[in-house]
Amino acid sequence: MEICPGVWQVKADEALMKELDGWRAQARLLQFTFERPLAEAYGADLISPGSYRLDTILNLIRRQGLLSRAHIPHLLFHEPSIRKRVLSSFQGERAYVLTSSLEFGQYLQLELSAAARGLQKKESLHTVVVNLSSGEVLKFAFPFHLLHPGGVESTLIRKRRCSLKRAYLQAAAYLSHLYAQQDQSWALEALDKLALEEAKLESFYQGQTSSPELTAKRRELQNRLQPVLAITILRGALLYIPLFRYRLVVVDQSGRERTRTVSYDPIANLCALD
Amino acid sequence: MLPLFPENTKLWPKQDHPQILQEFPCENFQVQVLAAGFKQLMGELRAGRYDTWDWYQLAKRADELVTTHGQAPGLLALQHLKERWEQVGVVPYQHQIRTAERVIHELHGQAILADEVGLGKTIEAGLILKEYMLRGLVKKVLILTPANLVWQWYSELYEKFGIAAGIQRTQWDWEFADVLIASVDTAKREPHCSIITGIVYDLLIVDEAHKLKNSSTASYRLVNSIQKKYCLMLTATPVQNDLKELYNLIGLIKPGQLGSSRSFKSRFMEDKRTPKNPAELRKLLSEVMIRNRRQDGQVTLTERIVHPVVVTLTPKEQEIYNRVTEFIKARGKRSGVSNLLPLITLQREVCSSFLATALTLEKLMAGLSPPELEQAALLLKDLAEVKQNSKCDALERLVAQFSDKAIIFTEYRASQEYIRYRLERAGYKTLAFDGSLSRGKKQWVRHLFQKEAQFLVSTESGGEGLNFQFCNLVVNFDLPWNPMRLEQRIGRVHRLGQTRDVHIYNLITKGTVEEHIMYLLHRKINMFESIIGELDAILLHLNLAKSFESEVMRIFLEHETAEEIQAHLDKLAQRILSGRAQLKASAWEGLL
Repeated sequence: MEICPGVWQVKADEALMKELDGWRAQARLLQFTFERPLAEAYGADLISPGSYRLDTILNLIRRQGLLSRAHIPHLLFHEPSIRKRVLSSFQGERAYVLTSSLEFGQYLQLELSAAARGLQKKESLHTVVVNLSSGEVLKFAFPFHLLHPGGVESTLIRKRRCSLKRAYLQAAAYLSHLYAQQDQSWALEALDKLALEEAKLESFYQGQTSSPELTAKRRELQNRLQPVLAITILRGALLYIPLFRYRLVVVDQSGRERTRTVSYDPIANLCALD
Repeated sequence: MLPLFPENTKLWPKQDHPQILQEFPCENFQVQVLAAGFKQLMGELRAGRYDTWDWYQLAKRADELVTTHGQAPGLLALQHLKERWEQVGVVPYQHQIRTAERVIHELHGQAILADEVGLGKTIEAGLILKEYMLRGLVKKVLILTPANLVWQWYSELYEKFGIAAGIQRTQWDWEFADVLIASVDTAKREPHCSIITGIVYDLLIVDEAHKLKNSSTASYRLVNSIQKKYCLMLTATPVQNDLKELYNLIGLIKPGQLGSSRSFKSRFMEDKRTPKNPAELRKLLSEVMIRNRRQDGQVTLTERIVHPVVVTLTPKEQEIYNRVTEFIKARGKRSGVSNLLPLITLQREVCSSFLATALTLEKLMAGLSPPELEQAALLLKDLAEVKQNSKCDALERLVAQFSDKAIIFTEYRASQEYIRYRLERAGYKTLAFDGSLSRGKKQWVRHLFQKEAQFLVSTESGGEGLNFQFCNLVVNFDLPWNPMRLEQRIGRVHRLGQTRDVHIYNLITKGTVEEHIMYLLHRKINMFESIIGELDAILLHLNLAKSFESEVMRIFLEHETAEEIQAHLDKLAQRILSGRAQLKASAWEGLL
């Protein structure tokens, strides 16, 4: 609550305070402000870039939400249209629905940090979604606005065919590919500098090419100047996407009948034969 | 002897590197897919710990806030430290900001910070450290300093940069603390040096780096063998007597920057003090060294205003003073100049307080011959009988004019106690500050002085590096003979951050050796007002750093009349002034 203009107060219980300030902290009323004069007048914690309280709050928040889950409710989609779309996918053949059911396919949403380290470091955040059925990285925009918090009934979840490790590596490969297509002056600058410094180092250790000291100094140089794209996961979420599953009778032009099971993924807009 | 890169040295041990799940080349760079976040994610998944979607979204926002997206041209630290600096009263100078920017953007974290004394090298190093930490480039940091500066580094980093560093106390500290401050003398000893050389540091900071000028010392070998990504060396005197010192220092930061040892000699050294190809050498040095000078006008310190307060002794006090001086001269002539220290102490104490003199004389009596002993005993008896202290009377009259806080310096504990007794009796609130206090207590006394007491009576002129910029009055109850100590005293209050002119009151007892000391320090070398921050370099250059007091004592012992003494003090002053001129004009000064 705002106890006076510009100063807010919140009651923090012991558990929260311990998370914020360490094991000795106790429950207390926290007061916040964004202005220094108010902080001094009320003894409130100042929230500004680099302030202790802002840092502790950000650190606490960043320790949360490492793994979450969300789903897209199947009711958001118009099933008759989907059925029509599935049936029309058999060109030159007639198809009839025997039974229909609902499953949820799994997608992995990864929040990745990519740090391009050359002479300087440039860090960027990326959200990459991997289809855990196909192992492919989604190249199109995922409709995050359709997501609803929480999971779905476990019996409805289709088993994933791609391990999470593979999904992570796929996402990393995708990001590397993106970086490879972009301006690489950061890496080239670093490589030039590395070559220059290595030449200087060689001149310093003339005739001692196998000395451990030279090896160590080379390592130091590489550690400092070798251009590296370091990718790491900050957090991830499992996304459950409804798959409309149909058991069909398909009649070809010669009148031969066969049964097929088809799943339709409304996110990828793809029909797949099971 | 410290092993230099033994074959079994752990190079870049795996545990210090972020664990890598997969590494592969891609175009012009290497891709490292790190394992830490993935492991955490899998841990949560296996435990079935799903957080709410709201927390997930909030944490994503927090990630965005703390991520340093680009290589901003300026310094992130300036924005982060703005509030803190306003609170603790730090105003960064432009040259400090420019230096930090250059080190990060142009020198890529490998630099010698060679600013002249008093321009804030520690602030520059702290700023660079903070910036690297904010950019996520530095985590494991080692700061090597002389033992007496460890605490100063700790408090500067904490107060001014919000960096909670550890102070090395045990051999286990090396591995566990992310930012560790340690004495270089401890670090070079076993088992410490073996541990340190097995750790990979992101940043190594070496203060007073001129102590590494000799490549055959253990300190040099230690610093050379520490595995580091970035390295900062801090020194005001990167070269003192030989250009090779500079070569050695740069070899620690960037081996090969000045070529091999042989090529450096042939390309850049006429002789050990005269550089060859100065323009080329200057260019190479500028790629690794930054030197800001006071004369560049980047820093303007407030004025130092000196007020001599002449104290006239009572006839009884003067008589005792003369007898003690005669005793000292007689003993000095007998024992020769080799054993001057106790006599120097006695001669200085007699100008401070008779109580302090009596205590030292008592200690001295153990080694005296029977006739001397008799003389000393008589002196001791007379010293005990003197009830008046004209200097303390003068001090009381002086401080009665003060409406602000003042630091009163004395060299002696006995004088310190007596001054406090007199001032407390007069109704003033005083605090004692001396070398026997622990680091924490010193901080506490400083805090109390700032908040409550009016006078701090201190025997500690430099030492732990506590700064008192909130105070601008200094009283020298007695004068140290070594100008370095005097400079350290004044330097406690007259430094960056002092916003008011500093008034220095020197109590000089008329007709004593103090008059001569004042003549030398104030009138001849004008050290109160002009030689700020240069003195250590001058005395080192003249090899007077440790022998200055003996030199002065020798003059007093060997000459009787005031004129003779003054003439010799003039010569000493001339030596100092010409040493200063030589340093200014030295061939390498133009290089730096």
